[in-house]
Amino acid sequence: MTTPHLSLSPEEIERLKAPARRDHIYRILSYFSPLLLLLVWEAAAQAALIDRRFFPPPSAIAGTGWQMIVSLELFEHIGATLRRVAVGYAMGAVPGVLLGLFLGLSAPVRRVLGPIFAALYPVPKIAILPLILLIFGVGDASKFVVIAIGVFFLMFYNTLGGVMQIPQIYLDVARNAGATKFQTFRRVALPSALPSIFTGLKLAAGSSYIIIAAAEFLGARSGVGFFIWASWQTFAVSRMFVGIVVISVMGYLTILALEALERRFVPWAKH
Amino acid sequence: MNLAHSQIGRNAVPAEPGLAIEVRNLVKAFYDVSGDRITLAAADVNFTVRRGEFVCIVGPSGCGKTTVLRILAGLEQLLSGEVRIDSTVPPAMVFQEASVLPWLTVAQNVAFPLSLKGVSRQKQRERVDELLQLTGLTEFADARPHQLSGGMKQRVSVARALVDDRDVLLMDEPFGALDEQTRFTLQQELLSIWERTGKTVVFITHSVDEALTLADRVLVMSPRPGTIIADLAVPFERPRDVVELRRDKRFWDLTYEVWRLLATSPER
Repeated sequence: MTTPHLSLSPEEIERLKAPARRDHIYRILSYFSPLLLLLVWEAAAQAALIDRRFFPPPSAIAGTGWQMIVSLELFEHIGATLRRVAVGYAMGAVPGVLLGLFLGLSAPVRRVLGPIFAALYPVPKIAILPLILLIFGVGDASKFVVIAIGVFFLMFYNTLGGVMQIPQIYLDVARNAGATKFQTFRRVALPSALPSIFTGLKLAAGSSYIIIAAAEFLGARSGVGFFIWASWQTFAVSRMFVGIVVISVMGYLTILALEALERRFVPWAKH
Repeated sequence: MNLAHSQIGRNAVPAEPGLAIEVRNLVKAFYDVSGDRITLAAADVNFTVRRGEFVCIVGPSGCGKTTVLRILAGLEQLLSGEVRIDSTVPPAMVFQEASVLPWLTVAQNVAFPLSLKGVSRQKQRERVDELLQLTGLTEFADARPHQLSGGMKQRVSVARALVDDRDVLLMDEPFGALDEQTRFTLQQELLSIWERTGKTVVFITHSVDEALTLADRVLVMSPRPGTIIADLAVPFERPRDVVELRRDKRFWDLTYEVWRLLATSPER
């Protein structure tokens, strides 16, 4: 607002507003700084300062990407990867949240069953991929399962942590208001754990894309991971870069979408 | 101590007619496993509250007064002794700190006990509107708790405790964290609500001033392990004016009397 308040002189008002104005400029510059990296890369590649076989100039990568968009080839791979991530993510997140809530609310169950999860959690998900391919075959089922396992543990531990941090007073309020066990679970434990659940959802989204890329390297005929691997085998470096950019953007957009959902469903938390 | 074990039962009605609450030989202790230490929180607590009476319990911090109230509310188990409450429903509680659920709006917080019981939305809304009016929160109905001041939050807690109209209201230092001016306002409002609803109230406070302002009777507790060391009638006529009370000489005499009791009661 520019109401000339009290008796501040224009010069004083100017000085008062200067820091905010500077912040605004920095924020605008921050959007462009990644572009600077691309410019340096482009110039270095054009000037043959870096090996174009390994680092084709961004303009060449963009050209390749554009061709793949026009030929719709890219969308086929994006669709395959997206479907695998979405199904696997849901398969892991739902039981992860439910078991996290359950173990978080019941100390006896947590004591008895907690060590099982603690023992299984550190197993690297990529390390068991061959085993999962053996059991579920090279089709989509094995991709769903390996993502579900990775997502499950992140959701389980984040939900559990969230439930265990519920202030005792909220549980007392529920009890005094006459809540049943199930009502306490749904009306108090779940909403209080929501901020932690969303932290878990975002972490799990990131690791889903790591896992799917690796899974598609090994046993798939479609998907962005497969596409990166196939490009490597034919030494199509520009296409490899297109794949890397696409899967990064997919991860980034997923997290943006989750943050939008978080603002919608956790309006009481600070963002 | 060799006392009979007992739980709060719905049929455990006080023997004497007209009594809302009867506490006999109440003992509560906590066991700390890591230090293998037993802490006696309340030792042989005895008191009664008549129906419709406003009773305050004062005592030094850590004397076990909150523990006694939590046992009355059924949030904690007693070790031995007897608690009898003349009501078909458990007492409603107003908690010490901000106990307003942050993911619900003010109106939803007030409606919370009703919504758990499956009361129809229409009835919920009517009852909630009534209580928002009573507690001066009508224009904050759709606000979120983090937008409210401490005093407003405690108003929400009070409204929530009143919403399903239980016979007994337990209040655990509800105004303890508020500034003095806000506390005065809320005390005055609580008095007028109580005069209108005729509830039985047990109110815990560490403020002698607050106890004398509100109560029909003040129970004084000793330091831990707490027990009731005095039961004083507060003679001021109703309705009371929290400011005018302070012109009454008896107010200061009683203040002095309670402070003497608190100051001279030995650590046991």
